Formats: sequence, structure tokens, C-alpha cells
Amino acid sequence: MSGVEGSSTPGKVAAGLRGRADFDPARAEGHGLADSRRAFTTSVRLGWQIESNWTDPLLFLIFLVARPVASALILIVMLEVISGGANRDLRAFVITGSALWSFVVAGMAGLAWSVLDDRERYRTLKYLVVSPSTLVVMLLGRGTARVASGAMGAMIAIGVGIVFLGVPFDVTRVDWGLLVPVMVVGLASIVALGLLLAATVLQSRQDSWSYPDAVAGALFLVVGAIFPLTVLPGALQAVGLLVPLTWWLEGVRQALFPGALSSIGGAGSFYAQVTGRLTPSGGEVIIVLLATTAIVTLAAATIYGVSERRARDRGLFDRTTGS
Amino acid sequence: MPSSPVTPPAIDVRELRRVYKAKPDDVTALDGIDLRVESGEFFGLLGPNGAGKTTLIKILTTLLLPTSGAARVFGFDVVADTKKIRRIMNMVAGGEQSGYGLLTTREQLWMFSQFYGMPVRDGWRRVDELIEAVGLSEQRGQKVHTLSTGERQKMNFARGLLNDPWVFFLDEPTLGLDVSAARAVRELVVAWKAAVPGRTILLTTHYMAEADELCERLAIVDRGRILAIGSPAELKKRVQRESLFRLELTSLGRGVAALAALPGVVSATLAGDQAEAPDDRQTVIVNLALSDDSALGGVISALGPLGAHIVALQKSEPTLEDVFVELVGRGFTQEAGDAGVFPAPGAASEARTGRDAIAAVHARETAEDGATADEDERAGATVEPAREPVEPVAPRR
Ligand SMILES: Nc1ncnc2c1ncn2[C@@H]1O[C@H](COP(=O)(O)OP(=O)(O)OP(=O)(O)O)[C@@H](O)[C@H]1O
Ligand SMILES: [Mg+2]
Repeated sequence: MSGVEGSSTPGKVAAGLRGRADFDPARAEGHGLADSRRAFTTSVRLGWQIESNWTDPLLFLIFLVARPVASALILIVMLEVISGGANRDLRAFVITGSALWSFVVAGMAGLAWSVLDDRERYRTLKYLVVSPSTLVVMLLGRGTARVASGAMGAMIAIGVGIVFLGVPFDVTRVDWGLLVPVMVVGLASIVALGLLLAATVLQSRQDSWSYPDAVAGALFLVVGAIFPLTVLPGALQAVGLLVPLTWWLEGVRQALFPGALSSIGGAGSFYAQVTGRLTPSGGEVIIVLLATTAIVTLAAATIYGVSERRARDRGLFDRTTGS
Repeated sequence: MPSSPVTPPAIDVRELRRVYKAKPDDVTALDGIDLRVESGEFFGLLGPNGAGKTTLIKILTTLLLPTSGAARVFGFDVVADTKKIRRIMNMVAGGEQSGYGLLTTREQLWMFSQFYGMPVRDGWRRVDELIEAVGLSEQRGQKVHTLSTGERQKMNFARGLLNDPWVFFLDEPTLGLDVSAARAVRELVVAWKAAVPGRTILLTTHYMAEADELCERLAIVDRGRILAIGSPAELKKRVQRESLFRLELTSLGRGVAALAALPGVVSATLAGDQAEAPDDRQTVIVNLALSDDSALGGVISALGPLGAHIVALQKSEPTLEDVFVELVGRGFTQEAGDAGVFPAPGAASEARTGRDAIAAVHARETAEDGATADEDERAGATVEPAREPVEPVAPRR
């Protein structure tokens, strides 16, 4: 069925106010996946614009890189001071770990900050909710934009490490067969953790901008980002092994720097005690990463669903700290 | 036909209740609302702060779940068919600064067009049309954070019209706008509604004049209940006990008493402030309260023998504010009466309170400038609802 164009004389009425005079029930139907795709790509674009628009591109790039490089440098300096001329392996370990971690933080915080930004700062959350697009799709898009900018920062920081800080890197030795699946699944796990955080801040009545950083900080200790898990007590090592990010970091390190120091295994590690092997193989990393990611994703999806429904029940979509 | 018989009502609400879980006591924001708004209506919700208006709009726009009861928008259930409702309705709230400050007006609107599922190009075209229609052409490329409150609200309206909604929910859309921006918004709403038959609007406002001007039907809501529904004229009729006329005559002598004695005349008095009348042609102003309009004929024919000629005749109508104060005030007094906060109403005196009580006295005891007071209120356009009678009460919830 096609609609009738505005019944009053066109020309007199502004084009924007004209419309269809029928109540075609088909208009209440959407276009399924196409709508979701559109909502997603638009949100990525919006997220990118919000991320990058606040300053000129050059400053933005500097900001993007400064954080991971600076945190890597701080760690390197500490390492040098403490160990007095650290070995190259440990240095590479720290640089990649801290660079990748800033990417994790960006990814995890992205969704939660989108909820907070849109509710508190832009006051658009309720208008997003009353639009036909699915909120979680829009949040994922926004998160993706932040992940992308985080990834750029991480890559540049690793590049700086290779060029200036003597991180041993050989393109011909990169294990692409491991890197690609590990990056894809790892990204999913980061987004799932982000979704969990988004579900949490959706419920919070106070400002909760620091939640993502707090959670990331806690995880930072147990995933083997800047020191191998072996230095932790066994119980904490066990906790770390349940987090997909641990396996993701291990996989990325193994793929980029074959033979590098393992964050999971090693002599005396909890992993070695349980499995009897020194370090996990690439295949093992992929499988465990897949399994832990699946669990986290399932939990995130469930909890987010509950959270969104509860938000609708309690009227939290337009609840702001100030009002 | 725009609204064929098969078109379900735009809004159909039955026994709707909404209870908010809150710290000391739960808050009953909606306490059994029944409401039916047909497609094509311009419907208004009036009520004091906290009456439940926003809560009702939030439920109808799928932002909030009802506690019990049913609410349908064009036949779609607010709980089960949220996606469908979202495609055919839209909303704009006032008194807030919403928008992605770093985007331009055009970018922000286009982005929302995508969230409404429009193809990319159609989105840009629609956005440009709407920017033009709401009068933001000059601000199209301006960053949203630089827009004034009024401009932001226009942008918000453009967003609300993106999907050509069947029903448009407006929650105090002119709140915080200056006189001309508020008028621009009202004109926009009227023009949009008139452009296509069948378009429906649900408006809440605290501006009585706005409601009077725009709404075809109104519901007066207080404490989660609907106190009255009807057209502004019908509602005014409810509070009008006598027909009030303001009669300006060349002279009357002692004829006022004669007028007062006529059948159907409840009272006739000389207006006290005769200084207003132009002095060269000394005129007399008489305030008449008639039991019915038809008694006016008798009065007019009685004037000839009295040697009086009519210079001006004006009917004084109650305002929507009178209705509001009467209903909301009465609702209060009945409950508070037992507590002795206000004197319990006598059978004859209709439990008027506060400022309105004075109006009632004016009407009955034929005070000097009752009619002028009425006019002032109408001319004064945006009169805050008289809240005095309600505030001293402990909340019922
Ligand atoms: N999220 C909430 N939690 C608890 N109570 C709430 C919540 N939202 C609204 N209320 C309460 O519900 C009642 C109705 O509020 P609502 O916002 O619907 O009123 P309103 O008619 O829109 O008032 P106003 O004219 O001031 O906008 C008020 O008593 C309010 O305090
Ligand atoms: Mg309100």
C-alpha cells in the first residue's frame, strides 16, 4: 500500500510538515537486519565524531598515542630502576601488555560511557530509546568507535616500542593464523565485558564514570598485562585464567613475538602445575579464549537484558544526577 | 479516508496504574486512568506538578512500564508492541537541553533519521526539509552546543517529526522558551497537525492559555486521577453557575435595582470604578449575573423604559484556570476537609478555596470588578496554576 501525499495544498505547507494521511499498518513494521545495520554504522560514526570532534585531528592523534606510550614508558622506567638494566624480554612484555591494556580499557569503558554520556551529558538517551532502533545495537556501535580509536593508540604504542625501545619484532615471524582469530574473539570478549559495565551503569543513580576504570584496574592485576601471572598467589592465578582477556593477551604476544615470555605459563606457574605443560599452545589459547568469551558473552547478554527491562520498569532512561 | 472506521483510537488507556518504588513510601503516580483519544484529536493534559502527566506520557512512549492496566497506541500495546509504537509515534519534552553538542544541527538530525531507518539520502532530504520547516535554516551548520534554548527546542521538534508520527507526545514543549519562541513552537505544532488529517497530539502544559488555544479536548489530572475530561468550552461550563455580563450604558439613574428585580437576574450592580469611562459621555457599567443567557432579553427590553442605551455588552466567560483551580482545589478540599485544614464546604458554596473563592464572591455578591479580573487573566496569557490551596496539605501518598 502506498500512502496519500499530504492532503492540503502542497506549497502552502512546508515540505517537512507534509506527510502521509493513511494509517498503513506496514509503517509499524521495520526492515529487520537492515535497520540494525544502519543503526550500528550510524552509531559507530557518531561515536567516532564524539571521540574525535572535540579537537583538531593532530591533537587528537597525539592524545590517542600519548596515553599508551606514556604508561608504557612509566613502566619501563620503573622496570629499569628496579631491575637495573632489564632484560629485553621483560621490556617487550611490559610494552605490549600496557599498550594492549589501554585498548582494553577503551573498549570496556566505551559502552558504559555511552550510556552515561547520553543520559547525563547529552540527555539524548531517552530519545534513542523511543526510536525504533535497538538500544544495545546503538551502544555496540558507539563502543566500536572507541575500540577502534583505542586500537589505533595501541598499535602506535607498540610501534614506538619496536622502533625506539628495542622490542624485538620480525614481521616474517608473525603467526597470523593465531593473531587473527585471537584478535576477533578477544574483541568480542572486550565488548562483552563492556556490555556488562553498561548494564551496571544503566542502573546506577549516581555518576559512575569511574566504574569502568575501577573494573579495568582490578582486572589489570590478574590478566598478566604487565607481569606474568606466576608472580601472583595460586588463587589469583586461577581467577586470571577464568578471564578471557588473559588468554587474549597471551595469544597476541605469542602471535606477534613468537617465543616471548608467557604471561600464563612458566616454571612454577599455576597453569604448569595443573596441566603439567610449561606454556599453552596456540590452539589451546584459541579454544580457552573461545570458551571463556562464550561464557562472558552469555552472561553479559542476559544481564544486559535484565538491566534494560529494569531500567524501563524504574524509569531510569531519563534519570539524571541533576534532576 | 484518513481515519477510516478501522483506525483504532490513537490512545486507549484502561485502568492504568503506575506505582514508583521510593524510599519512605511508594508513590502512586497514576491511580487508575481511563482515557481514549481518537486519531486526529489535539488532546491536552492539565494538572498540578506531580499529577502524573509525564508518567502517563512515559508509559505511552514506551519509556516506562505500567504497574497494571492496559495502554494502547493505535492499537499497539505499550508492553508487547514497543517497536511498533516507536515507529509510529514520537515525543518532545521541554525544559531540557538535549543534543550531541559537537555535531551540527544537520548531522544530529541526520543521525536520528538513520535510527528511524531512513535510507541515507532520504534522511538528508528529510532533515533539510524539516530544518526549513522549523525555521533553523540559518543554524543548519552550527554546532548544537551553540544553539539557544529556543533553537534547540526547534531542533528537537525536527527530530520528533522525522518519522512523520501518527501521534506526537509533547511534554511541556514550551517550557523555558521566550514568548516568540513559544509562539513559534505552537504555530509549528498547529501547522503540522493541520497539514494532514488524522494526526494526533497529546500535550501537557502548565500554561492555561496554551491549552485553551490549542486543545480540542482536555483532561484535568490530579494525583494520578482524571478529574474531568471535555472540550475547553465544556469544562468552563462546568464551573459556570451564572452567566456573567458586563453592560455599559449611557445612563441608568436608579435603574440598577429595577434590573436586579427582573426574572432570571441573580444580581445587578454598578461597577465601582466608574472613572474608567470616558468623561464627556458619562457612561455607567453594570455587572449582571443571570441564571441563564436567555434572561438577557428581559434585561435589554427593560432598558428602554429606563431611558438607558447600550454602549457595550460583553459576556464574561470563566477561564480554564477557573476550571483548574475549581477542580484541583475541590479535589483537595474534600480530602482535607476532614483534617480541618480548610473549612468543609457548605452545600451551596462549592468548596472554593484560595484565590478562586474570591472570584466566587465577586460573582455572587457582585463585586465591582469581577469581570475585569476575568479579562486580565485571559490577557495575562500565562498564568501559573494557582497552587496555594493545594500546597499546605501533607501529601496523600
Ligand atoms: N522515577 C521516579 N521515582 C519515584 N517517584 C517518581 C519518579 N518519577 C516520578 N515520580 C513521582 O510520581 C509523581 C508523578 O510525577 P510526574 O512526573 O508524572 O508528574 P507531572 O504531572 O509530570 O508533574 P510536573 O507538572 O511537575 O511535570 C510525582 O509525585 C513524582 O514525584
Ligand atoms: Mg511532567
